[in-house]
Amino acid sequence: MSLPLHLAALAAPRSATNQINDFLTGVKPDFVPDWALPLTTALISVGIAVAIISLVAMSGTWLERKVSGHIQCRYGPMRVGWHGWLQPIADGVKLLLKEDMIPLGADKPLYLLAPALVLASILGAMAVFPLAPDFYFADIDLGIFTILALTSTTTIGVVMAGWSSNSKWSLYGAMREAAQVVAYEIPLGISLLVPVMVAGSFNLLEVSNGQAGGFGVLNWYIWPWVNPFMGPAFLLFFIAILAETKRAPFDLPEAESELVAGFMTEYSGIRWSFFFMEEYAAMFLYCVVGSFFFFGGFESPLTSLARATDVHLLVQVAAAVTIIAKGYAGLFLMMWLRWTLPRVRIDQVMTLGYKYLTPLALACVLGASVWEVFLAPVLPWR
Amino acid sequence: MAELLFYLLSLGAIGFGIGVIRTHMPLYSVLSLLGTFFCLAGIYLLAGFPFLAATQLLVYAGAIMVLFLFVIMLLNLGDRDELNRQTGVALSGPRLAAAGICAGLLGLAGLIAAGWGGKVTPTEAVAAGGVDRLNDIAEVLFGRYMLPFEAASLLLLATMVGVMSLAKRQRGEETEAGDTGWPWHKGVEQ
Repeated sequence: MSLPLHLAALAAPRSATNQINDFLTGVKPDFVPDWALPLTTALISVGIAVAIISLVAMSGTWLERKVSGHIQCRYGPMRVGWHGWLQPIADGVKLLLKEDMIPLGADKPLYLLAPALVLASILGAMAVFPLAPDFYFADIDLGIFTILALTSTTTIGVVMAGWSSNSKWSLYGAMREAAQVVAYEIPLGISLLVPVMVAGSFNLLEVSNGQAGGFGVLNWYIWPWVNPFMGPAFLLFFIAILAETKRAPFDLPEAESELVAGFMTEYSGIRWSFFFMEEYAAMFLYCVVGSFFFFGGFESPLTSLARATDVHLLVQVAAAVTIIAKGYAGLFLMMWLRWTLPRVRIDQVMTLGYKYLTPLALACVLGASVWEVFLAPVLPWR
Repeated sequence: MAELLFYLLSLGAIGFGIGVIRTHMPLYSVLSLLGTFFCLAGIYLLAGFPFLAATQLLVYAGAIMVLFLFVIMLLNLGDRDELNRQTGVALSGPRLAAAGICAGLLGLAGLIAAGWGGKVTPTEAVAAGGVDRLNDIAEVLFGRYMLPFEAASLLLLATMVGVMSLAKRQRGEETEAGDTGWPWHKGVEQ
């Protein structure tokens, strides 16, 4: 049994999903029914995505604690492994063994479903996120649009969690999350329009290809000679992703000094860790999106060098290393900001989002489109 | 497989739709509405319109969250009986009959429409030229349908401004009278 035509077209022939499918078709024994193939392929693909998210979350928590520690003139975790690098595994074991508590007045089905929903939306977004030029699950035209659509559904899980916990702290956290995320989705989407306009595509791979050349650096969209409105657009984008991922100074949904832990106050054990995984995965995902649309994506001097050798595998590895390094650089920046800026009030968050970021983003798009239509065609380097 | 998915999603959409009006908890209503939209997005995807599906998710996930905020802020959640009276529709004989007649008429309309254009299955709709390329959508939206598109956006803007001014005026008048200004706060101890 095969996928319908257009769904098969979504998963491009070179996608990891199809490669897994082809491999499985080759080794399939006769007694295995045909319908098991797409199912197994899907399960393996999901497994890969889950593995990536877990690795990101584990390294993210470790990095967070180390960065916070060093910013506060202490070491952070040091006991488990070299400089505490095994700490996330110890934490994971601890969380697995912890009692999974459900408050008495909680709305049980929603309470149990919420963490899964939160994680599922990030998993879905992973499908369009290429890890290397030839390693992706779906190479679709709508790339970034799909990512924004799927990550915006995490709000629903958070609101469900906040409501079903039957706790005022959780409900406050959830309401803040809903208000904040809906407000900042607008500048986020609009500021991304600037690089999308320059690239002429939503597709992450095409956007990355559009920044090739110039020693892997000079054609990045962030540079003012590509489009001077790109820098402001990136600033707006970065502020918006801080709010979208609930990071300081916009960590109001959790606000540990006022709301205990916000929407996840009542959660414990492995369900609680789902929220954490989602947070770090979303941070990484948005940072990677930022590097695709502003900082060259797969393009770097390293990738250029690898391309000069003309070895296919080397190019893939160099590109993957490039994008992961850029993603973690963004992650580091977000952690740095957490210990630099104080938390803002909810009314300030709303004012900033609606009254300043949204109009500024619109102005950026207007300026960038004027530049693209009238100036870009006559610039010798474009 | 596509056919099976289509029927599953359709059933889901109808089921969630019933859930929206049947449940007594406002949040369940909101979430059922969301389920309906997700099922519709799945149907769009099956029919070869990924852009429409993604838009459905992007727009409604946000919009429904706003709806949820309204539910929390506008309803008097402290009073459970009040809540039960305000939300949830009890199924009675006449209502069921009305719903049945409506569904039957809709189904008839669908059958006639399907008969008009020949039988179209969900998979064939794509072969008939589903708009799944972004450029195609842009060309249609900003070329052939430019005027209606802009008119619709202007209409939305006008509605927004109108609602804002109405809400502000109402608030101003009633604050003078010593109320909180919000109609749903009437009779509630502050």
